[in-house]
Amino acid sequence: MKKKILTLILSLSMTTVLLAGCGGSGDDTVQDQAVGDTSGSSADNSSGAPAKASSDGDQITLRFAWWGGDERAEATLAVIDQFEKLHPNITIEAEYGGSDGYHDKLATSLASGTAADIVQVDPEVFPTYVASGDYFLDYAELGVDMGNFDEAYISLEINGRYDGKQLGLPSGISGAGLLVNKTLADQIGLDFTQPYEWKDLLEMGKKVKEYDPELYLLSMNKEYIANLIVFNYAKQLAGGTLIDADAKQIRITQDQLEEVYAYVKALFDEGVIPPASYQASYSGDDLQNDTNWIEGKYVATFTYISTMDVMTAANADVEYYAGQIPKLGSASEAGWASNTPQVFAITKTSEHPNEAAEFMDYFFNNETAMETLGTTRSVPPTEKARQICSDAGLLTEWTMEGANIAAAMGGTPNDKISSTNEAKEILFDAVESIGYGAKDPATAAEETLKLLSGLVE
Amino acid sequence: MRSAKSAVKKSGYTKRDYQAFIYIAPWLIGFAILQLYPFLMSLFYSFNEYTIGAVPEWVGLKNYIKLFTQDTEFWNSLKVTIVYTLYTVPGKLIMALAVAVFLNRDIKGINLIRTLYYIPSLFGGSVAIAILWKLMFLENGLVNSFLQAMSLPTISFLGDTKYALKTICSLEIWQFGSSMVMFLAALKQVPRSLYEAAEIDGAGKIRIFFTITIPQITSIIFFNLIMQIIQALQNFTSAFVITDGGPMKSTYVLGMKLYKEGFSYFKMGYASSISWVVFTIILVVSLVLFRSSSAWVYYEDQGDF
Repeated sequence: MKKKILTLILSLSMTTVLLAGCGGSGDDTVQDQAVGDTSGSSADNSSGAPAKASSDGDQITLRFAWWGGDERAEATLAVIDQFEKLHPNITIEAEYGGSDGYHDKLATSLASGTAADIVQVDPEVFPTYVASGDYFLDYAELGVDMGNFDEAYISLEINGRYDGKQLGLPSGISGAGLLVNKTLADQIGLDFTQPYEWKDLLEMGKKVKEYDPELYLLSMNKEYIANLIVFNYAKQLAGGTLIDADAKQIRITQDQLEEVYAYVKALFDEGVIPPASYQASYSGDDLQNDTNWIEGKYVATFTYISTMDVMTAANADVEYYAGQIPKLGSASEAGWASNTPQVFAITKTSEHPNEAAEFMDYFFNNETAMETLGTTRSVPPTEKARQICSDAGLLTEWTMEGANIAAAMGGTPNDKISSTNEAKEILFDAVESIGYGAKDPATAAEETLKLLSGLVE
Repeated sequence: MRSAKSAVKKSGYTKRDYQAFIYIAPWLIGFAILQLYPFLMSLFYSFNEYTIGAVPEWVGLKNYIKLFTQDTEFWNSLKVTIVYTLYTVPGKLIMALAVAVFLNRDIKGINLIRTLYYIPSLFGGSVAIAILWKLMFLENGLVNSFLQAMSLPTISFLGDTKYALKTICSLEIWQFGSSMVMFLAALKQVPRSLYEAAEIDGAGKIRIFFTITIPQITSIIFFNLIMQIIQALQNFTSAFVITDGGPMKSTYVLGMKLYKEGFSYFKMGYASSISWVVFTIILVVSLVLFRSSSAWVYYEDQGDF
């Protein structure tokens, strides 16, 4: 009998534990939603109710999620430490890791109301989140001091302002650029410091092959070809973004897209870039792991300014500079845009939005924080931070140059439809099929437009 | 039999019988929350247009119609998945059986050898092992360096549409351990008297294998076949980590497509409909195999449970 009772108690307690586990998270969600609802329905005093918690001096825990490498993690953790010392009642839990799968996880956690209080988001993914749900709080209402930012910069949608609400704040100034292996370029006699056109790259590619058939002019993979060459060339040709997202119309014509694809085909055919089958092993943000890059067999690479330091670190034996980026005749649209590499947003499900805002205020406006963060998220977003980093010698020459070149181009960022994963995947596939010779530019262009039109509707 | 059963029913459960539910409650609750609920919800979502975070909107069969009539990617993915299954399942079974036969002997240190052969399976569908595979088969990876050292032409294992799927299949086949262990157990169950009788009658080794060993272990072959088919049709990790579905979608298995639609494009409704198609395929294949089993599977106990 005793044994029986014991087992009964045991199984009951196990059930309770299980129920408690589930119930706990259930309660949280309800509470989270409740907070979200209050701030949603009475947007004006969203900062009112939850503020009480902090004045009581209770321990508060915030969660801060970002992706990035070790250097970025160290700097960010150091800033968290500094802030926690100033605010002993606030603990910040860092949730960080690589970029792989970060946004997949973020999308699910936003939908289920379990996202961190402060989240780092890719500015090109941000519109999808803003469109699919009411997830983020307006910085202006939370009282974050945005005086250090350039108004023209943060008012852009890509940098976080949606319908007059500052839902995100830019982490830096980035954009695409051309990183040149100066040592090799000088040997071959190539100069990227003067403005040039797309077709010139084909000529330079030939020159490289004549110099040494083992070398390539550009290190590229299908994602970079699509994101940096196809998008920018196409924008220059079409005189605007590929899709007019407001009018829900495709702007680029089939002939224009065919021209872009024919250019991509020429890059492959002339050996300006390595064959598609070689690129396949280094897809996505993996170009720095390409053994040919590490051995210095490429003259240059189109890359993101925030990635330049990663690329140079992979082969530190040579000199580098940021080259000019290609133009198209007298095109009115420059294509190449300069915008933030990430935005930071405070989520509506946060139980302590004011403390989260306080942290962001420290993160962006405190001088110690600025110096600690340095350039771990590209060139800093505020003039003051740039000055501090420059004084401290934290900005590499090519990063600074690259940011200036991108800013001088001043093209339009991609529209919110063509910057979705699905649209990009369509372009990746098209570039790949051209690279493998499976489709000619005309067919690929026709198919791309057909698939894109499915997204516009 | 029947009358006995109804007699039990008539008397009904006693109060004490219901206590059983308390004991199995932890499992029941876990099952209901973690399996049954997601299962039913995904069926519901498959009839909805459901973007993550948005409110599901009922669209009836639209997702399925789109999948079967408009989505050319789906047919390619289905083809890739079937080819993948046709390569890996027989490959893995033959490999497992061959190694099991080899290890089914009494030599010194046999337990160590068995363990070594089982190790790959311990890593299961792990990402680390997939990354190892990727590094080995890179354009200038380990395998190609080896080929080069032997003055053989190098092969673009991951970049060539002809080889990418096969490279991934080889990873799956390499993880034959769990099937092997079961085969090994089955081989030990075969009565020695049968072998002795065959030897006295003058049967050769190969003849003994095909007329005695194979028929005796059909039940385990059947079990492994079903399990491997289910696993192969659901494959995701290796395709995702090693080739990301490429090149040219040659390794874009249904699991990959499901993941991309759901988690990259946020189209959960559509992804759910794909998962139900996969589920249906697995269900049909399993049922057909079960039907056929009475013709070729031998159970020592005549199949009574």
